[in-house]
Amino acid sequence: MTPRPPVRASAPALLHRLTAKVLAGSGSFIERLCKGKIESASGVTVGAVWVLTAPVFFLCSAVDFLDGGPDYFPLLVCGVIVEIAGLVVVRFGRFPSTLPISRLFTAVVSGALAALSAVTFAHLATGTSIAVDVALVEAAATITGTNATTIDAEALSLGMISFRAIGQWLSAAAIIVVLVRVLPHLGVGGLDADGGVATRSARRLAPRSGSTMARLMSVYVGLTGLFAMAYLLAGMPWVDSVIHALTTLSSGGFSTRSGSIGSFQSGAIEWVAILGMLVAGTSLPLMFRAMRRADLHRFVRSVEFRAYLGMILVVVVAILAWSDEWPTVASIRHAIFATTSAISTTGYLSSGLGTVPFGGEALLLVLMVVGGMSASVAGGFKVMRFMVLGQYIRRELTKSIHRSAVGKIHLGRSSIGETALARIIGELFLATMILVPVVLLFAADGLGVEGAFTFAVSSLSNVGFAFGDAWPLGHLNSLGALGHLAATFLMLVGRISITPVLVAMGGIGEPTQRTIRRWRLTKRDEIVR
Amino acid sequence: MRKVAVTPVRVSGAALLAIAGAMLISSVVAVVDGGGAGFDLLVSALITASIGCALFYGSTVSPTADSALAFASVAWSWVAVSVAGALPFLLTGVIPWVRFDDALFESISGFTCTGSTILSDFTSVPQGLLFFRSMIQWFGGMGLIVLAVAVLPALGIGGLELIASESPGPTADRLSLKVRDTARRLWLLYGLLTGLISVALLFAGMSIFDAVTHAFTTVATGGYSTYGDSIAHFDSFLVEAVLIAGMLYCGASFSTHWHAATAGLGAYRRVSEIRWYLWMIFSAFVLLVLVNAGELDWVENLRESVFYAVSLGTSTGFGTSDYIAWMPSAQVALLVLMLVGGMSGSTAGGMKVLRLQVVFRYAFRELLRARHPKAVIPIRMGRTTIEEQVAAKVVGFVLLYLGLVVIGGITLAGLGVDPVTAFSGSVSALGNAGPALGEAGPTSNFLVFPRIGRVVLMSLMLFGRLEVFPAMLMLVASFRGLSQIRRRRG
Repeated sequence: MTPRPPVRASAPALLHRLTAKVLAGSGSFIERLCKGKIESASGVTVGAVWVLTAPVFFLCSAVDFLDGGPDYFPLLVCGVIVEIAGLVVVRFGRFPSTLPISRLFTAVVSGALAALSAVTFAHLATGTSIAVDVALVEAAATITGTNATTIDAEALSLGMISFRAIGQWLSAAAIIVVLVRVLPHLGVGGLDADGGVATRSARRLAPRSGSTMARLMSVYVGLTGLFAMAYLLAGMPWVDSVIHALTTLSSGGFSTRSGSIGSFQSGAIEWVAILGMLVAGTSLPLMFRAMRRADLHRFVRSVEFRAYLGMILVVVVAILAWSDEWPTVASIRHAIFATTSAISTTGYLSSGLGTVPFGGEALLLVLMVVGGMSASVAGGFKVMRFMVLGQYIRRELTKSIHRSAVGKIHLGRSSIGETALARIIGELFLATMILVPVVLLFAADGLGVEGAFTFAVSSLSNVGFAFGDAWPLGHLNSLGALGHLAATFLMLVGRISITPVLVAMGGIGEPTQRTIRRWRLTKRDEIVR
Repeated sequence: MRKVAVTPVRVSGAALLAIAGAMLISSVVAVVDGGGAGFDLLVSALITASIGCALFYGSTVSPTADSALAFASVAWSWVAVSVAGALPFLLTGVIPWVRFDDALFESISGFTCTGSTILSDFTSVPQGLLFFRSMIQWFGGMGLIVLAVAVLPALGIGGLELIASESPGPTADRLSLKVRDTARRLWLLYGLLTGLISVALLFAGMSIFDAVTHAFTTVATGGYSTYGDSIAHFDSFLVEAVLIAGMLYCGASFSTHWHAATAGLGAYRRVSEIRWYLWMIFSAFVLLVLVNAGELDWVENLRESVFYAVSLGTSTGFGTSDYIAWMPSAQVALLVLMLVGGMSGSTAGGMKVLRLQVVFRYAFRELLRARHPKAVIPIRMGRTTIEEQVAAKVVGFVLLYLGLVVIGGITLAGLGVDPVTAFSGSVSALGNAGPALGEAGPTSNFLVFPRIGRVVLMSLMLFGRLEVFPAMLMLVASFRGLSQIRRRRG
């Protein structure tokens, strides 16, 4: 028997062990609590989300207390209420032994709604926003990692600032959990609309999903720590560095200043942010593998990563070429900043984002739609799906000449099945169908044509900034209550993708449809008679 | 004489001959009117006819025929007629030779039934030329190749494939067993309608010249008017009513019209697309009325809302007022109308209602499949089931179409046009609608785009009219043909 190699006590290994313990601990804690009678996946998810988010309230309350801010007591009370509510729900619920796919969808959606309600509650209780619709949209921006806000960040207490930042960071962590724990059960028919490539690549990391999750999580936590240090070294105050590291790596985008990263007026800080956003848009399994073996060639071998970088490069060059002035170091930095901010759907603003040419605006909008790599924490439609769509169009063009040609769509080494292909296309069309009415609503609710369209796209992709009259971040302020609700919906749809939301809603729709169909059939029978 | 066996050349020749006919008729109109330009039109007719004859009689069709060849033939003949159509504008001096690309723009905008114009002063343009301008829309509406198949006896190439690549919509309906009869019936209906609308417009108070030219552009859902302020010039409720009826009729499938005319009105009930088409225009109308409720008084509101819902819903592009002054949401609704366009098999442009329908069903099916992963769900439209292959083709088309809108918008914005004008211009050009939003509204002209931008718009118009695939594949097929010829010689 070969002796086991001694475990190295390096920092990454320690971090990995720690995250694994925290994850396993919280999982078994919830499991031990679930001894109720009512079998409901959604109920258990809601309860678990509440139980696990309550510590964030306590943490931020402590931060605010130490800082001498006004919000520590409301946050503490909120935390206690959320914790109790969560415990009660979990106590009476039990995870069902068998779970149809539609229930799983509903569970994911209700988990998101539970987080939304808790964060809305915090916003209302602390008086950060008084109106319910504003609190809702602020909460949605927090849990979906969108940098859209009606609140001046500098007027917030430190407790609330850290609450919102941790909210963005945790919701991105939740995406990793969904990627590893939920998607494999759904197969290609589910959320994972890239033919299971992301899931497969994540699953190949380790034999057990628990340890896969621990690995990805430790990468995520480690990178956050690393970027907090980097911000600090670049000259940011330490509180700001931590907050910004949380919102950079989660591609969230909230900042401690109303002028975002740009208000620090520092080139070094902006370069750190650029790098952070780039990392946030990169596939986590890919980064883990590259880091483990110190094998940077993995990045080069990934088709999707090449496309991701290529797009950034093309857009940066185009923005520079279309602007009126000769490029300087600062203008190159601003162009790269805007591009990475859009493609990673972070939504940070640099100090020079006021000078994007018209063509650049259009390209940035396209990048927002494209979004980061699959299996990353970024929003958007994902680079891989667009690559698949490109191949699909090519295949249809070929088919129109060669009628009986059979084209299988390959992406790198993996091939995309027809079911997954149909799902990707369906997802895109469904998103467009949701987008158009919301654009109409935004336009009716106080935004111009350009503002309405770009803000709708930006919300759907969880970016935050948009173009038009209210450029860059004034869109939410120009909208009314209806607009806020629509923006909330779009952000949620963008984060948990459209199919689960609609399927969860279809829990109501399908019986109705069945009734209608039955009614129509009977009507036809009557005619036949 | 040894003839070259290249199908695109022969088909282009046939199309050029048709255009020469149009020029000849316009020259007669110019002579009757006495406003000049008769001689110039005659000269362009002669030039076009001689080139057309040379191409048509100097070539035969290739012995092998496939869809790529049909695509290439149609696409190349459209390029040829567009170039020929620019001649009268240049020869009459309405557009100077140094701005030859503008003449080409006007010609392409005419043939593709877009109706975007770069002319600003309509009073100085000879009537003969205005007639020609309307007439090329009329030719472009039903399609030159369809005409050629109907009239010319010896085109010698499998007709339906050719018609299918030219006519709007995913498939071409057969109206009879013989393709030539199908083409003839389509043109017969088209001609009858034109006559009917002319007479109606005449009774509504237009002069005979205006009635005929506007009938041409209404039937073709083109949108060229003989006045700078389009239909607002007449300020007549009756004229607008006739035009609305005409546009609505011609934005619907002509083969359905034929079935309805021969077999009774029940034919309309069997086509689900027509319900979607009418619903879309109706809901756009309701939306416009609601949005404009506070802005316009209600008679004017109803009148303008219904006119624009129909004008842009059928991709015609006639204008009665400046909708740029309307609320943003009204403009967004109009943009969606431009994007979707009319029914397949009609003269209208856009993505076509049928495709929207398929895409809707496709997306909805994916939703059902997410719930029931093993279900086998066909895509149904009304009572017919759409084959998977057709659905895949339609989906590919829609993706490509949206991609082209985005590419066109980015290119125009990159040339310095503001994003709203750029993207709406791209939608409008690709959907062959005519007016856009922003600076390129219904009362302004397309000179707001830079010169290279207009070239981009031209190609988008051609892409839109030829429904993308033929235009995309014309070069592929041509290269393939060239290499085949070279191989045979080598």
